[in-house]
Amino acid sequence: MTRLADDPESKFEVSLISRIADGDESAFAALYQRLSSSLYGLAYRMMNDAKEAEDVLQEGFTYIWRRAGSYDPTRSTPFAWAVMIVRNKAIDRLRVRQRGERLRERVEQSVGQERDESSAEEPALRERSAIVRSALEQIPREQREALELAFFGGLTHEEIADRLTTPLGTIKARIRRGLLKLREFLHEEI
Amino acid sequence: MIDEQTQDLVLQYLLGELDASQTERVRAQIESDQELRNFAIEMEETLASLAYAAKPVAAPPDIPQRILRAEGRSVQPTPKTSRSKVVAANLLPWALAACLAIACVILGLDRESERNGFSRQLAALRATHAETALALAQLQQRSTELEKQLQALQEKDAEAQTELATLKQKAAQDEQAVAALTQKDADSQKELAALRQKNLLSEVKIATLKAQVAKFQQANAVVVWDPYQRNGVLQLEKLPPPAPGKDYQLWVIDPSNPLPVSAGVLSVPSAGLIRTSFHPAQPVQSASAFAISLEKSGGSMKPEGQIIFIGK
Repeated sequence: MTRLADDPESKFEVSLISRIADGDESAFAALYQRLSSSLYGLAYRMMNDAKEAEDVLQEGFTYIWRRAGSYDPTRSTPFAWAVMIVRNKAIDRLRVRQRGERLRERVEQSVGQERDESSAEEPALRERSAIVRSALEQIPREQREALELAFFGGLTHEEIADRLTTPLGTIKARIRRGLLKLREFLHEEI
Repeated sequence: MIDEQTQDLVLQYLLGELDASQTERVRAQIESDQELRNFAIEMEETLASLAYAAKPVAAPPDIPQRILRAEGRSVQPTPKTSRSKVVAANLLPWALAACLAIACVILGLDRESERNGFSRQLAALRATHAETALALAQLQQRSTELEKQLQALQEKDAEAQTELATLKQKAAQDEQAVAALTQKDADSQKELAALRQKNLLSEVKIATLKAQVAKFQQANAVVVWDPYQRNGVLQLEKLPPPAPGKDYQLWVIDPSNPLPVSAGVLSVPSAGLIRTSFHPAQPVQSASAFAISLEKSGGSMKPEGQIIFIGK
């Protein structure tokens, strides 16, 4: 269920980014309104701190405002581009502030936990979230665990191997296979 | 076919685990290999979709404004977020512009996508319209309340102004009355002073004292008595100085007082003309007569020596 480049919403977001590159503030506000709740949720999940998550979100959107001209729609969808920007900002903070261990433990503890579905999400967002969570539930637990530690915890393959006392090759395989399966499940859901 | 090692390298690249030189090498590899490029795109999309697994959280609505302000841009008021229930009235132009942009994009889509997109946008537009209408209704209600409050305040102000004008008018009248009374009082004081002067002259008592002893037949003693001031003036002529150890003492005879009231010891250094004012030692209701006696030096509380002058 990736947001493909020919998806209408992705097309609209591409046009917004194009306008942002021209300095269109209303397009910037519109893109923020469309993506901020997901990106803020991601930042909060990674930082586990509302204020830091807010700072990460602001840094991410500052980057988007300044670098909208560098966005290439043939490489990624706007959503993926924005997610990777915000994730990178979060990882920078996690590393700089050396809070990795504590936060990674939290991420580790969160693996497999039930999620709160009662938030006031928009219908389309709620639907996408449900699809991704359902797909994650379908891949083996070890792969899901490695994927979440890598993506949300910001741990490298080697750090995950150390943490789980598992060979590096095994961790690489779990992440690779987990992602490939996730891709298949998401494609089936489209 | 991409081997697993290369796949792992691309994933590490996407997850940001590689150092700068490794990153550049993998990037160049991806750019030069279409299959690898497609793989990288799909993996990045899949990784990004993990963000949907994080629980969405309503973000602070003013972050775009903060960013734009920091970037030196003039910033419009904060637009509403999708979860915001409060819509400011000044959001309307922004919302319409955003809706117009969305509508333009929708028109460019294919028919199926257009139908789906249009439904979503229509719902969003309806929600925006409803919220805007609600906000406008609330603003209108608030405006009506404020107008009523303003009207009440204006009425109260008008009443206060009227009352103030009345009080000022009354104060002016009072000032005029006070001025008139002051003038009248001054006139009265003048009139009273004139009357007193006139009365004083008519009431002044002049008494010529007659010698009661042959030795003082040559002497003259006259008293002028002011009944209002209750004091007087004594004029003596040819009265010899008293003998050593003796003093002349003046007395005022008051019918309301059983004893003569002392008006003081007289200083007579020689037999020439002497004029001296005097004040009775006690209050005098009316002075019916005056007398001079020869008393011991320093005077007496009551006449004890020989009376040498007396007169009415």
